[in-house]
Amino acid sequence: MKQRIISAALAAAFLAAPVASMAQETDLAKRVEQLAAELEKVKAELAAQRAQAAAPAAPAPVQAAQPAAAAPVATAATASVAPASDTVFSGYGEVNYNHPVRNASGAQTDLRRAVIGIQHRFDEKTKVVAEFEWEHAIASAEDSGESAIEQMYVEREFNGGLRGKAGLFLMPVGLLNQNHEPTAYYGVERNFVETAIIPTTWREAGLGLSGDFGDGFSWDTGLTTGFDLTKWDPASDEGRESPLGAIHQEGQLAKSRNLSLHGALNWRGYPGLLVGGSVFTGKAGHATPDFAGNDARVTVAELHTRYTPGAWDLSALWAYGRISNTEALNATFVGNATPVPSSFAGWYLQSAYKLWQDGDYTFSPFARFESFNTARSYAQVPAGLGVPATPYERVATVGANLMVGQGVVLKADYQKFREDKTRDRVNLGVGFAY
Amino acid sequence: MRYVPLIVLGACAVTAPVFATQYLSPEQAQKLMFPEADAFRAQPLTLDTAQMRQVEQLAGLPARSNQWRVVGAYKGGTLLGYMVLDDVIGKFELISYAVGLNPDASVRQVEILAYRESHGGEIRLPAWRKQFAGKSAKSGDLRIGAGINNISGATLSCTHVTDGVRRIAAIAQVALAR
Repeated sequence: MKQRIISAALAAAFLAAPVASMAQETDLAKRVEQLAAELEKVKAELAAQRAQAAAPAAPAPVQAAQPAAAAPVATAATASVAPASDTVFSGYGEVNYNHPVRNASGAQTDLRRAVIGIQHRFDEKTKVVAEFEWEHAIASAEDSGESAIEQMYVEREFNGGLRGKAGLFLMPVGLLNQNHEPTAYYGVERNFVETAIIPTTWREAGLGLSGDFGDGFSWDTGLTTGFDLTKWDPASDEGRESPLGAIHQEGQLAKSRNLSLHGALNWRGYPGLLVGGSVFTGKAGHATPDFAGNDARVTVAELHTRYTPGAWDLSALWAYGRISNTEALNATFVGNATPVPSSFAGWYLQSAYKLWQDGDYTFSPFARFESFNTARSYAQVPAGLGVPATPYERVATVGANLMVGQGVVLKADYQKFREDKTRDRVNLGVGFAY
Repeated sequence: MRYVPLIVLGACAVTAPVFATQYLSPEQAQKLMFPEADAFRAQPLTLDTAQMRQVEQLAGLPARSNQWRVVGAYKGGTLLGYMVLDDVIGKFELISYAVGLNPDASVRQVEILAYRESHGGEIRLPAWRKQFAGKSAKSGDLRIGAGINNISGATLSCTHVTDGVRRIAAIAQVALAR
């Protein structure tokens, strides 16, 4: 009896399985039919559109008005969710002219950067993002240009909107670092705080995780490479221009004995408002033999906000950097002009207003005030051997961006320096991003 | 041949979680927009050339297509409003969204059905989408910077969805309003 029940149950199970799969098959057949019907619909629509384009009354040229949404979307409008192309090319670039007002012979024009981006989507959840950059037009042994990989990472989306990244990626720091295209900021040159204090475009190699808590909160965290203090050159003034810019590794044979951690939190819960901050910390000595700075730790913290009510675009940022345990290292640098600073910091306030808009043209004057110091303090060295901390440099910038559509920008501004007045300058620039 | 159903099942299992970025189905969206409705009817809309020109004038944007996916929401035979389904490109990828409209062509609600970009998912936030409610193509405030506030870091997604909603509001004004 028992056996019979078991065999009956088994038989039932075996019978049920193909029925279930047949149901799946029917479902599949239905889906194929649906797709076929949709294809017919798209074909019909295309034919209708062609007929319209042929008709003399059809307002075809208007299509050119919105390049970003024009071509691929037209067919997607009636098809169900059709993914955009798997591989997307993007790019941005800028050519800048700087004219120091007190030193006309220092006027310079530079193809500041040209960047080609490629994003490829393997499937709905997995993609790779890469950006290739050339700076200063020509990169060769005799030229001062650079060729660099700005980012190259794979990203996978998990359940609940959680995203994991691996590779070389931009640190989620400040307002500019991840949105650094010339169309995304005001002024010909990037602001000083997010160049000298936060070394935009700051990227590290490693692992990252991003997600959101709901209510407008989003977070990023990661374990990556960090800075290499053994690169510090006390004889050069590179460290004075940007302490972190002088010791960043950018994924190039990056020393990885010490890894760094970062975390960022942003809130966008009120339309037009962004409030956020981030912290990055990691040791920078990499247990290098005979190196006096093995205990040094680099920490960067920043807070930022941006509010865009109506025609206004207001932003503010504060950044603070620290390199700890540099006493012994700086003692080996005595006599040099540029020891390692123990702290550097800066902040800016910026206000822009969309004054005039006509068709594709948008004219936005702006003003920015920034205050920054790349050598705010030094670790103590024996009296008489140290270098005095530098004063805060204060820069006022006034100018305007003229956007042509969404992808092209013409810029002009004037920058006035409080400390080093020889740097006062007029800047002109053209940039694009797509 | 015996294994075909198994392969199909396996394929289904592999492809099932693929639409992780699909937050709502059109059916879920229409219920969210018109919870009181007892019937939804697909009412595909075909615009003629004159209507397309009117839409372009009203929206200041190309009408883009003459075919639109429209669903009418009814309660006891009375029209409550419409839902129009559409997709726009964010920065690189498609954003699928639905616009709920009142019978007078004013916007009732906007829902994001699928979002695929790495950044800018905040357009799904209710606070951002709420800005559209009550506005219409005629009121002139369905624009970023003039009625609709941007989301920092998601400028393109915000702009393209806002443009899309304005286009649909104009279509409703021209072809659906009563």
